[in-house]
Amino acid sequence: MDADPVAQDVSGNGPVGVAIVDDHPVVIDGVRAWLATEPRLRVLATGDDPDQVLRDAPDADVVLLDLRLHGRMVIDKLAELSAAGRRVVVYSEHTDPATMLAALDAGAAAFLAKHEGREHCVATVLAAASDRPYVPPALAGAMVGDPRPDRPTLSDKEREALLLWFQSMSKASVARRMRISEHTVKQYVDRARIKYTRAGRPAATKAALLARAIEDGLVRPEEIGIYRSQAAADWPTP
Amino acid sequence: MSADLDAAPVAVPRVGPSPASLARPDDVRAVDVARASDRGARIAAVAIALVWHAVIGLPALLGAWSELAAPAVVGAGWLVVAATGGYAGARLLRGGLPPVPPLVVVLLTVDAVVFAAAGRAQLFTAANWVWGTLGWFFVVALWGRRLPWLAALLAAHSLIALVALLGYEATAPADLTRYAMYVYGTSSLPIAFLTGAAVIARLARDRAATAAATLAVAAERDAAEWAGRERRARLALVSGVAEEVLAELADGRADPADPLVQRRCVLAAARLRRLIAESDDVPDPLLHELRAAADLAERNGLPIDLVAIGTPPPLPVEVRRRLVDPPTAALAEAARWARLTVVAGPDEVAVSLVTPEVDGPGATGPPSRVEDDGQVEHVQERDGEIRWTQTRWRRT
Repeated sequence: MDADPVAQDVSGNGPVGVAIVDDHPVVIDGVRAWLATEPRLRVLATGDDPDQVLRDAPDADVVLLDLRLHGRMVIDKLAELSAAGRRVVVYSEHTDPATMLAALDAGAAAFLAKHEGREHCVATVLAAASDRPYVPPALAGAMVGDPRPDRPTLSDKEREALLLWFQSMSKASVARRMRISEHTVKQYVDRARIKYTRAGRPAATKAALLARAIEDGLVRPEEIGIYRSQAAADWPTP
Repeated sequence: MSADLDAAPVAVPRVGPSPASLARPDDVRAVDVARASDRGARIAAVAIALVWHAVIGLPALLGAWSELAAPAVVGAGWLVVAATGGYAGARLLRGGLPPVPPLVVVLLTVDAVVFAAAGRAQLFTAANWVWGTLGWFFVVALWGRRLPWLAALLAAHSLIALVALLGYEATAPADLTRYAMYVYGTSSLPIAFLTGAAVIARLARDRAATAAATLAVAAERDAAEWAGRERRARLALVSGVAEEVLAELADGRADPADPLVQRRCVLAAARLRRLIAESDDVPDPLLHELRAAADLAERNGLPIDLVAIGTPPPLPVEVRRRLVDPPTAALAEAARWARLTVVAGPDEVAVSLVTPEVDGPGATGPPSRVEDDGQVEHVQERDGEIRWTQTRWRRT
């Protein structure tokens, strides 16, 4: 159950601003309480209407978005926010793999199952704020079981790391099983996630994720040829 | 007319229940037999009519040409019937049915015209070909209709002949006797053809239905025996686990308060539940069996998370057992919580159970790999933090 202590140099200047969009006040309160345990995070606005919440907090670094608002799946809203460069972390009780993969395709920075708890929530938001991937176990399961014919091609090690991470929820255990370091496990998982930036429509968030992955050495520049086709339109200018 | 008797039916026409009423699967063979019979009978009926028309009717007509009252009219009638019969026969052999009303009108018209044109002298000779031949064309025209229709048409045929007799004033006792013989001879054979064919068709269908029923009974018995063997095999499997601990409990050799005995009981219960689930006929047996194990654990108060991704392919029961048994056995010893996952694709199925480490017998160590046959891999690991049981099937 080791959530990733990923928040290396988040941005350097000030805490990460978070906006929470959910139509259940009790969930908002719960998530706010989770995030309050992490001093680097600050909740700027909450509400059940994404547009209103973002008017209240235009500078929010990360939007935590409940995928189901007032009985409707808001994949289209998610796509709109992602295209506009908003880092959206989707969190939902709808954890069927198809929904999770659709959220990634639409440009979600990460997908968090509501039952995955505080540690994963904090880690996911911190990672998203710095355009770094974070793959909670449920999302790893959806990726490793992706049945779509046009799914990204994962290497054997990446698949194995995703599978074991999904099964055990312990990167230490995965590392022992694969006889590699925890850092390498995380790299395999994150590389798999980066490959998913190819799927679905292009989004500014996907380009940002890719740019940071290259910067961090997660993928080498010569490997990005295959990604460029779709992300090129949103390639960040230096 | 003794030659007529040689033309006994050689095949059977379609009679009795229609294919729709035979549509139950058991009757598929019966339907096939009925179809084959019908096809044969159609060929026979068309062949008899046309061959009779050409081999018996035509030579007699040509031989007596000069003696006919109006040979051209009789010849034209012959051609009309040949054409009509050819058309109806073609329809019949292609699997369809000829249109009855126009055919009946044409045939009866030719009938009356030829009787009138043959003349008094040729009334009872073979040159008056309609008398002996038309009955067979009636059979072709009325194919698929009930017997009374044929009888009615033959009666009309006889009535036309009687009118001709009266018209020619051929009412001497000898003429009337010949008339009676002709009516009997020309009507009995087509009727016998249809009746005999009906009997043969029914017999063939009954034989086929009996054979199909026998096969169905045999298949049912085989299935029941197979199910019985499966049940006995499962029972033997359960006995190995449950019988022993139950016997020890009954004898007082095992103490119900002993945690080890309790674990053995839980394990036996889990296996029983799984074996019961295995016999259920469900679309997704692997998940069904795992769900049964998870249900049992949950009822024993263990919070358990069962996450399944993908749809497992159909797997032999032996493979399913090797996939499901290790995690369910480990589940019996789980404490605090458990996470049971299935990731399935068409060529690979991975089942995993993770539970927290608790104090107890056994040691932590590197993963122990039990590869039973290269098809299902079983890995067991205790790393001091979690207990991890993993089974994985790969298509070879």
